[in-house]
Amino acid sequence: MEGGGKTITLVARKACFGLPTACPSCLPVYVFLKLTGLPFFFNYNLTYPDSDQIPYVETDECNVAYDNENGGVIETLKKDGIVDLDTGLDDIPEWISIKAMITSWLADAVLYELWVGSDGTSAYKIYYSDLPWPISKFLYYKQVNLAKQLLGITKENAVRREKEIYSKATKAYEALSARLGEDLYLFESRPTSLDALLLGHVLFTLHALPETSNLRSKLLTHTNLVKSAESFMTNYVVTSDSSSGLQPGDPLSSGSQSQSHQSTSASGRGSSNWRSNPRSKPKREKTEEEKTFRRRAKYFLVTQLAAVLIFLSLFGGSDNVDMEVDNDDDGSIYG
Amino acid sequence: MSHSGEDPDHNQTPTAASDSISDATADKDLDDDDYADEEEELSEESKLRAQKAKMENLFHRISNETVPLRVHDVLIKGNNRTKESLIEAEIECLREATSVQELLKAASIANARLQRLDIFESVNITLDSGPAELPGTTNVIVQVVEPRMPYSGDFGVYSRPELRTWTLEAAGKLKNLFGYGDLWDSSLVYGWDQMSEFSAGVYLPRFKGIPTPVTARASLFSQDWLKFSSFKENMLGVSFGLLSTKNHDLAYNLSWRTLTDPSQMASSSVRRQLGHNLNSALKYTYKIDNRNSSFRPTKGYAFVSTTQIGGLSPDTRCLRYLRQELDLRCAFPLGFYNAALNFGVSVGVLFPWGSGFRSKPTSLLDRFYLGGTSSPVCTLGGPTSVLGFKARGLGPTELRRKGKDDNESSDSYPGTDFLGGDLAITAFADLSFDLPLRVLREAGIHGHIFASAGSLNKLSENAYRNLSYQKFRESLRSSIGCGVIVPTKIFRMEVNYCHIVSQQASDRGKTGVQFSFSSP
Repeated sequence: MEGGGKTITLVARKACFGLPTACPSCLPVYVFLKLTGLPFFFNYNLTYPDSDQIPYVETDECNVAYDNENGGVIETLKKDGIVDLDTGLDDIPEWISIKAMITSWLADAVLYELWVGSDGTSAYKIYYSDLPWPISKFLYYKQVNLAKQLLGITKENAVRREKEIYSKATKAYEALSARLGEDLYLFESRPTSLDALLLGHVLFTLHALPETSNLRSKLLTHTNLVKSAESFMTNYVVTSDSSSGLQPGDPLSSGSQSQSHQSTSASGRGSSNWRSNPRSKPKREKTEEEKTFRRRAKYFLVTQLAAVLIFLSLFGGSDNVDMEVDNDDDGSIYG
Repeated sequence: MSHSGEDPDHNQTPTAASDSISDATADKDLDDDDYADEEEELSEESKLRAQKAKMENLFHRISNETVPLRVHDVLIKGNNRTKESLIEAEIECLREATSVQELLKAASIANARLQRLDIFESVNITLDSGPAELPGTTNVIVQVVEPRMPYSGDFGVYSRPELRTWTLEAAGKLKNLFGYGDLWDSSLVYGWDQMSEFSAGVYLPRFKGIPTPVTARASLFSQDWLKFSSFKENMLGVSFGLLSTKNHDLAYNLSWRTLTDPSQMASSSVRRQLGHNLNSALKYTYKIDNRNSSFRPTKGYAFVSTTQIGGLSPDTRCLRYLRQELDLRCAFPLGFYNAALNFGVSVGVLFPWGSGFRSKPTSLLDRFYLGGTSSPVCTLGGPTSVLGFKARGLGPTELRRKGKDDNESSDSYPGTDFLGGDLAITAFADLSFDLPLRVLREAGIHGHIFASAGSLNKLSENAYRNLSYQKFRESLRSSIGCGVIVPTKIFRMEVNYCHIVSQQASDRGKTGVQFSFSSP
């Protein structure tokens, strides 16, 4: 196996919804590293949601594979000879067309669901829940606009574009489902980077998107795709948490936190829900942490508002009020 | 306390002529015009003589004894825009005067205060006689002239030696817009590829009953630290100066700070810090400066303590930290060649707080960085300067990412990022003396011999556990040297020869001649 005995560290976005990382860009890289069987450290960056550098993989002190270079992290790892699962496959026309389908049609569908087609709860939890309130709100609305621009959605064509995105996603699911059949992997019964991309997408759609999601309901009709994701979670994530495959990360520098994702199957929706049909929006139980945060946020807002009102009333009313001056002014105060 | 009972003559008041006091000096140059033309009538002349004699008598009394006097009324004239309450607050001391001497002193203080508001072209305080039925009283007339154009602008190119760059700066000022002595200003600073800043603020000399100035400022700031630490800082924030007196200063700052790495070359520690954070901090500064000069102190001492508490918000996701700086300077005259010994010690500590604070990192933006050419004798801003080292040129470092350029050999040295430290200590000793040439002495040009040392260590992320005396000694960098200092009205220039006594491989210290510019 490649890797050359190097210490590999994956830095990704937040773990939630029962996934080790709930970011649609980071999950395929995580799956890829899992499929390679290489031991790796896993760390998080929780404060940079708008970065295109994340995920990145550090292969030693001075070498990093950023997601915004050389076609992404997986391609860079292959190019640098760190690890390659696609030997002899990545120039097959069918391989290329499947990859293009996953990285365009399915990626667009996820982008749409996450930022435009839902209420943004999932996106907020994945990207912004560790940033202070004003920053997270601003960045969220900025990203929504950016997603609309990327997808070419305007007020006029919104319905048409939505239909088109879902139609392409349906076709892609049908094609991938047919290609996979009853196998676990797409090509030659061995894991490749294409499987990592597909599994990353399927896991994200099943776990992170709300149960009312259209995309999720379309995916659930393809049981073999769902089954392959279940199988990956059982074989690689849950078991490896108790074995040597995944090691907990180092304490991180600022802006990041080390988190163990032992809760992969414990929190979030369990696999038993995966086959359920879309239903009316469920009422989610708020966790204690969320309640505390909401309480604090309300307190913060109320005090800020009170401060502004006091300031305005004092400043605005000063026109008619004589200035009070301390008589013990000794001049030294201005020094 | 009044002396009126002692001498009936004390009831006599300066009623003869208006006594004009300009620019805080109550001169006795009552109008020379009183010396009348020779062509005037004799009666007129005798009247004037009598008046002059009276005034001379008065001045004689003022200079020899206390002349009781009460302010009957204060009349303010010429304030078309300025609120009367503001002027009244500034001249309050006039009403408390009980004698001519006190009144003259109060008038000069009031004049200076009004001038300092920076909203009048000129201020004239006149003491006039009070009502005839109230002897021993005076009416004070405050005549202010407001500028016809209440705005001004500046434009220039400035050097920023600490960043090794030049900046283009433009500033606009709007004075007294609402009549409260409010000064509005906005400034734009642009340094090629390095920094840019836009800020706008307001200054209020008084806010309601608070007798100290209040300021508010919003700024948008961008600073490129790529050369030093492979990151770029963007900041959007507001700050409020809550209290500002001679010794105390209290300010609140709320800012959204973003660290990015456009070069994609950052070292691991810098890389992990990239992203956004919210800084909500209160800063308190206590300052005493009893030195006889900030350019060339030869006597006295100065002490500055700056305490900063970050994370003052109910949102636990704000940056939480405590930052303390202490700065002490002492100057001792030696009694020959105007020589003086200056000593200084500066200490800075930064530590996070909140749950799990021991293992938390501190922000790169709050850490201490040492090095730079600013003179430690003049600067009172915490531990920064170690002569002989370039700005941000010493302390903990980390290797950068290797270049991905195909032409570059894979084992080429990627360079280092300076990470700053949580515990910074600097100290210096400086002996300044006059040079033998008279021409140089007269120009204020003098020589000095100095020694400076500094140490920068990491405390956060449990690093404090590894900090031992041995490690502290190893982290100590020092330099000695001598040089010539050229003081000018606005800055102090030094030409120094520095010899680095101790440094580490990654430091940017250099033995040789160095130029430095400091402003007080």
